[in-house]
Amino acid sequence: MAGRKFTAISLLMLNLLSLLPLLTISFSHDQPTDRRILVLLDDLALKSSHSIFFTSLQSRGFDLDFKLADDPSIAVKRYGQYLYDGLILFSPSTDRFGGSLDLEGVLDFVDSGHDLILAADVSASDLIRSVAAECGVDFDEDPSAMVIDHIGYAVSQIEGDHTLIAADDFVQSDIILGNAKIEAPVLFKGTGHSLNPDNSLVLKVLSASSSAYSANPASKLSNPPSLTGSAISLVSVVQARNNARIIISGSLDLFGNRLFRSGVQKAGSSYKYEKSGNEQFVTELSKWVFHERGHLKAVNLKHNKVGGTDEPSMYRINDDLEFSVEIYEWTGASWVPYVANDVQVQFYMMSPYVLKTLSTDLKVSFFVDTCKNLYFYLHRFLVSLFIHSCSRDSITLLLRYQMFMEFSSSKLSIRGLDTLVSHFQSRFQCDPSDTMNMKDL
Amino acid sequence: MARKTGILVLASVLLASIASICDSAAIFNPISDAHRSAASELFSLSDGSFGSLEETYEALRTFVVLGIEKEPVIRTSVCASVAETLSSPSSALKDLFQALRVNGILKCEINDKAFAEIAFRLKDSVNAANLLLDFYHSIGGLMLIKDQTSEVDVHLGDADRIFRSIKALSQSDGRWRYSSNNPESSTYAAGIALETVAGLISLASSEIDHSLVATIKNDIMKLFDGVERYDDGACYFDEKFVDAHGHQDPLSASSSVVRGITAFATATEESLNLPGDKIMGLAKFFLGVEIPGSAKDLYHQIDALACLGNSRVSVPLILSLPATVLSVSRKDQLKVRVNTVLGSSAPPLSVKLMQIFSSGSKDASVIDQELKFDPDHAVHVLETLPKNIDVGKYIFSFEISLQDPEHKKRYITGGRTKVPIYITGLIEVNNAEIAVLDSDIGSIEMQKKLDLSGENDVALLANHLQKLRLSFQLTTPSGKAFKPHQQAFLKLRHESGVEHIFVVGDSGKKFEIILDFLGLVEKFFYLSGKYDIQLTVGDFVMENSFLRSLGHVELDLPDAPEKAARPPPQLVDSYSRYGPKAEIIHIFRSPEKRPPRELSLAFLGFVLLPFIGFFAGLLYLRVNLKNLPRSTVPATFAFLFHLGIASVLLLYALFWFKLDLFTTLKALGILGIFLMFVGHRTLSHLASVSAKLKSA
Repeated sequence: MAGRKFTAISLLMLNLLSLLPLLTISFSHDQPTDRRILVLLDDLALKSSHSIFFTSLQSRGFDLDFKLADDPSIAVKRYGQYLYDGLILFSPSTDRFGGSLDLEGVLDFVDSGHDLILAADVSASDLIRSVAAECGVDFDEDPSAMVIDHIGYAVSQIEGDHTLIAADDFVQSDIILGNAKIEAPVLFKGTGHSLNPDNSLVLKVLSASSSAYSANPASKLSNPPSLTGSAISLVSVVQARNNARIIISGSLDLFGNRLFRSGVQKAGSSYKYEKSGNEQFVTELSKWVFHERGHLKAVNLKHNKVGGTDEPSMYRINDDLEFSVEIYEWTGASWVPYVANDVQVQFYMMSPYVLKTLSTDLKVSFFVDTCKNLYFYLHRFLVSLFIHSCSRDSITLLLRYQMFMEFSSSKLSIRGLDTLVSHFQSRFQCDPSDTMNMKDL
Repeated sequence: MARKTGILVLASVLLASIASICDSAAIFNPISDAHRSAASELFSLSDGSFGSLEETYEALRTFVVLGIEKEPVIRTSVCASVAETLSSPSSALKDLFQALRVNGILKCEINDKAFAEIAFRLKDSVNAANLLLDFYHSIGGLMLIKDQTSEVDVHLGDADRIFRSIKALSQSDGRWRYSSNNPESSTYAAGIALETVAGLISLASSEIDHSLVATIKNDIMKLFDGVERYDDGACYFDEKFVDAHGHQDPLSASSSVVRGITAFATATEESLNLPGDKIMGLAKFFLGVEIPGSAKDLYHQIDALACLGNSRVSVPLILSLPATVLSVSRKDQLKVRVNTVLGSSAPPLSVKLMQIFSSGSKDASVIDQELKFDPDHAVHVLETLPKNIDVGKYIFSFEISLQDPEHKKRYITGGRTKVPIYITGLIEVNNAEIAVLDSDIGSIEMQKKLDLSGENDVALLANHLQKLRLSFQLTTPSGKAFKPHQQAFLKLRHESGVEHIFVVGDSGKKFEIILDFLGLVEKFFYLSGKYDIQLTVGDFVMENSFLRSLGHVELDLPDAPEKAARPPPQLVDSYSRYGPKAEIIHIFRSPEKRPPRELSLAFLGFVLLPFIGFFAGLLYLRVNLKNLPRSTVPATFAFLFHLGIASVLLLYALFWFKLDLFTTLKALGILGIFLMFVGHRTLSHLASVSAKLKSA
């Protein structure tokens, strides 16, 4: 009896020990890159037809767990803990997920700061559309609609319906798409979407050209299509206020081997690229979404009177104040100092009344001119567009080193984030080491 | 179950897309160089080997079928590993089998003695086996030895009994079980079983009972009855059995069955009379996979296609077109290629264009025209397109007829093949004009000719009582009126970014749109001002699809009533939204104007003057300090009292310069108590001194 009990305990210990490495390699604030990713597929054949994408993820150290979207054993959460850091939904036609996962589950997953890649396609299911809609992306309501471009299509000997598009209208952002310019156009075949103007967190990464429109290629058009021109987004990204990142693509083929390997010649141009830009585009985008790039942390926030070193509990009118912060960027392997000339700080009362750009060594001094409660808001803006969340995800420092996120009145369409924002103060309080994570674009 | 739904879902997606593209037809291309480069990529050498013997076999087999020379590089290391496996008495049955398979391709130097020993072991295990895989590995092994050396006797004596014990594992639907304990049946296992039975038939020392062979044939027919079918004609064998490794996909299951029936047909040398369309469907299924992403899938695909390519069953011929988008302006010729699945050339045959269906209509024009064979490029060419073919989307129907009647038995042509063809051309645009009309009479207020092949910049003026008319004509290369199937949009874009899109209708001869602004004011949100006009005309058969900016129209619309709908919010340009904000330099209260320092000091001097006068007055009045106590203790108290008074004054000064009220009051309180104490002692001393004086 005792022997059996001992065996049971030692087995339990063994189990716990085997869990240890799993815990250590999972997402942490010191190592913000995702590790464990659940991939939900319509068909396991996608594993083979999209193998280049998956292999590239695996070779970068991600642990992919492939499941059929209707697998009854799917669970993203156990005992209140999430089992995965990221979710890839390559199941455009799934009406309902297997296991315990449902729409709410996916949204909760994102709401708790995890990352998502969603690929829809022609005749995407309502479930996939709802997930996208919650992220601020509306797919064309006509399920058979595809993006058609009679001017910017990819020249093909065998595909004549101009639904294979050579898209090259990328977002101008090194953080999202990497430093290397994507030379070859990206091949896209699928359905288009529009962005919800109420949602300030969603961003077009790949847009259709102005001659594109979204319609069913097999039928004749009698009414104007609902989506036309460069308002059509082909691939969009979202960075939520809780640092969750999302990619939404209207095409599953975009990630597939066939388009990765295919050459591309845009109609009207005589130059034929040996290889499409898909692989580079998708790889760079996946680096961003899984926090291998564009993730900042701010430490050593300091403010003091000019000439002093201690942080006073209070400033008096007419004091000169010095503010400095250290910002590091995560490169996927280590933290390197972040050098930029677009970090701004706000001296804030009811509304910002001092806004200054920090010098490249991230220091600034200014003049204190009121004795009311003061807040520091640390803003990070990029000269070129993107640092989107930063304008929103600004970090605030109360004089007693309490940090919270700026609350913005603009409507969030990710359900649940609203409640998050109402609790933001408690959730984003600084830990004792006075460091914080500014998971930035 | 999950697996099956998954496949059905994929199938439906696949079909939806195929159906939308080409109504009813699909093209399958035979194995090409793309497969060869993919094979070299997928089967890559790591540390000079492909991994296990099984993986090595799959790589070598794929290379052999595709005709890639890679043997010499790995030959030495692999042969060493084969020899080691074959000579070791502890090698598992499966490893022996894999080693023999690899040896079958590499032909390493293994002596007959080693073969004889292995054959002995394998024979033993055949007799002792009761699992399907044990039968498969041992009989397969013996078959391989038979092929590799003629010196070793591999014949099996009790073939009928072995046959029956293998047959005992079969199921009524044509599938097989892996063992008698496991009730689940598998399609993959059926393929393995057929291969095993085929091996057994060729190894049997005496002829196998015909009735037994007939039951196997019956099983194969049943298996084919359960074949799944896509709408494009592709067939596959579904796999419901889930093994320990997770899932078996239809690709490996179908591949296994194809290997099995080929082996069986070769061994029995009999015709299986399998339905030709299903064999063709299987070929289409394997080709439809295109280039698989994993090495295993590639092996299954290539190996199955190799079996179909030179099987005794029947060889499917694949009709493919290098290009299905043909340009009239470039005078493209319609070319058709007929190959076996592996891309090798077909026997002499002729290809006929039978029918042409015009897209959207059911009518077909019967052509029945034979294509001319070009032996240099091995293509069949239709030199000129039929006269009645204009630009548009068509479905061409081809038929292959073999010249040699002997071949008709051997090859399957799959009947008529329907292929969607796009005929494209340059569309002429003319008579384009834009005009502003008066609403009530319809008289032309302003009219401009447009040149839609170049840039235009018209400037029009209109109010809500007028109409805007745009018209143009499209002509096909053969001079007929062209009706774009798809895109003829007129876009009006207001300065504020609000866009309105109208479809330009066609009235048979010309395209025309009349915008009556009276009916559109509400739709335009009563927004007056400059509207840019843009015209887009496009179609998949139109080579010169265009998007032209035509200029602008200045609209004068009535003011919006109170309840009118507001224009929808426009998407904020993200570049401006996320850029740095302008710096704010804010000063809460601007400092007052102050006089120069010298002036202030001079006034300070004036302020201090009366104070000096005060001291002078005191001296003039002869201030009496004699009353200050002389003895030590009262003198100390008096001194402390005066010091206290001085501290209070200093505190006031500090309060003026630095301290706040709270700190000052706190300090003042303490000082006050101290002053009261020392003041009281000093005063009481002075009082007692004066009382003594009075009494004295």
